[in-house]
Amino acid sequence: MAAAAVAGGGAASRPHSLSYVGCNFLRQRLVLATLSGRPVKIRKIRAKEENPGLRDFEASFIRLIDKVTNGSRIEINQTGTTLYYQPGLLYGGMLEHDCSPHRSIGYYLESLLCLAPFMKHPLRIVLRGVTNDQIDPSVDVLKATALPLLKKFGIDGEGFELKITRRGMPPKGGGEVVFACPVRKVLRPIQFTDPGKIKRIRGTAYSVRVSPQIANRIVDSARSILNKFIPDIYIYTDHMKGTSSGKSPGFGLSLVAETTNGTFLSAELASNPQGQGTAVLPEELGLNCAKLLLEEIYRGGCVDSTNQSLVLLLMTLGQQDVSKVLLGPLSPYTIEFLRHLRSFFQTMFKIETKSSHEELKGGEKVLMTCVGIGFSNLSKTIR
Amino acid sequence: IQGTQEKHVDGVKWTESKAIEIEEEEDDDVENLLKEEQAYGEEIDVSADTTGALKWKEDLTQKAAEAFLRQQQSAPNLRKLVYGTVAEDAGEEDEVDEELGGLFHVSRPDKESKQKANALDCSKFPVETPQDWDLDEVMSSIRDCFVTGK
Repeated sequence: MAAAAVAGGGAASRPHSLSYVGCNFLRQRLVLATLSGRPVKIRKIRAKEENPGLRDFEASFIRLIDKVTNGSRIEINQTGTTLYYQPGLLYGGMLEHDCSPHRSIGYYLESLLCLAPFMKHPLRIVLRGVTNDQIDPSVDVLKATALPLLKKFGIDGEGFELKITRRGMPPKGGGEVVFACPVRKVLRPIQFTDPGKIKRIRGTAYSVRVSPQIANRIVDSARSILNKFIPDIYIYTDHMKGTSSGKSPGFGLSLVAETTNGTFLSAELASNPQGQGTAVLPEELGLNCAKLLLEEIYRGGCVDSTNQSLVLLLMTLGQQDVSKVLLGPLSPYTIEFLRHLRSFFQTMFKIETKSSHEELKGGEKVLMTCVGIGFSNLSKTIR
Repeated sequence: IQGTQEKHVDGVKWTESKAIEIEEEEDDDVENLLKEEQAYGEEIDVSADTTGALKWKEDLTQKAAEAFLRQQQSAPNLRKLVYGTVAEDAGEEDEVDEELGGLFHVSRPDKESKQKANALDCSKFPVETPQDWDLDEVMSSIRDCFVTGK
């Protein structure tokens, strides 16, 4: 990319870079660096392992960041153990990216969800790779939970979609997803402290390159547990064929509980990748996934555990006004994200524990309050 | 005889007065008891009045103490957990490795924090201790999260 664009702020006002150690939390560091304009240096990436340095999927992620920005400078040393990243401007536009099949598209999409509203041009990107795996949040779950969350901040419109055109399971992948997001100049602050009550449960049982009957078996077993709580359950069966079924066989289930106030709590499970581990029974998978959803409901809050960091980021970047959100227990990833938010944006949250006074509403909740930094997307083109 | 009569009368009078005194004393006791009962009754009345509007006044100090302890236990701990000890540069390590004879480095076994530094980058929050959702108590613990609940 053009090096000239880097000089944006001028050498005098260039903020000093932040330094980190290790490959963990790589995505949130690069995302926050891009949004704040501060360079980062990450050292000792797997320095003591037999196979040191950045992995394929991380290299692919860095390439993706390079694609959506203009004028970023990325330096990686010979062994791949040190990474220096000087962010450019978020550019967006029509893009394509081949994600590494070692991590699912969700790994890449989570970061794109953080960056997409602040592009110069609306982002429309085709991502290819693994749509559902056992590690990262799947595209189905992000579609059902993260998109409604962005809408609460005023990011909405016709050009806002996440479509699964092909489903791909690990290890070979072969899935394809289209993500499009409009840009906004400022974000609306939110007051989201009452999750409401769960009015329905929706889900998708998918199967590719296996018997279509498997999806039905998953649905039956999941319903057997969830029906004890609420009658309004519908689980779609999604059996893709031919080229849209990717390159590897597999099946899985994602469940989403929707409340009266627009909270979406999710859970998901996928079968073991072909050739790894023992075969999973569809009935067992359905039961376990339903139980995971009940655990997530027990944790509760207005945002489910995978999207905690996304909501906290958008609150930080909101207008200079108070934003509040009620969360379940903070995940380790979120706790680290809060520390990074303080390093990059100097924002600290007020964290209050709320024990549920009325019983039968699950575990302890955490009320997060902050004042937005008044981030505005200056590179957005005005028409 | 008169003297004895008088004495007798006196005696009667004495006994009478004594009896009266005793009676009076008994009366006093009864009165006191009654008073106490009344006072007790009044006290009950007072507390009955307060149950409506002024109930919050009861055990104020105890409540305050409990609230204070609760605050101490939960809020600052969570804040400390998030913002407490970890500075933004986790970079100061290894540089202070001891040297043996100026040639060899003592390689310490990886600490917990360092393992975390190179751990898997994943936003999911796995459930560590799953509950038994077949039990009625566990099931009822989230009953009110649904519209079908209370």
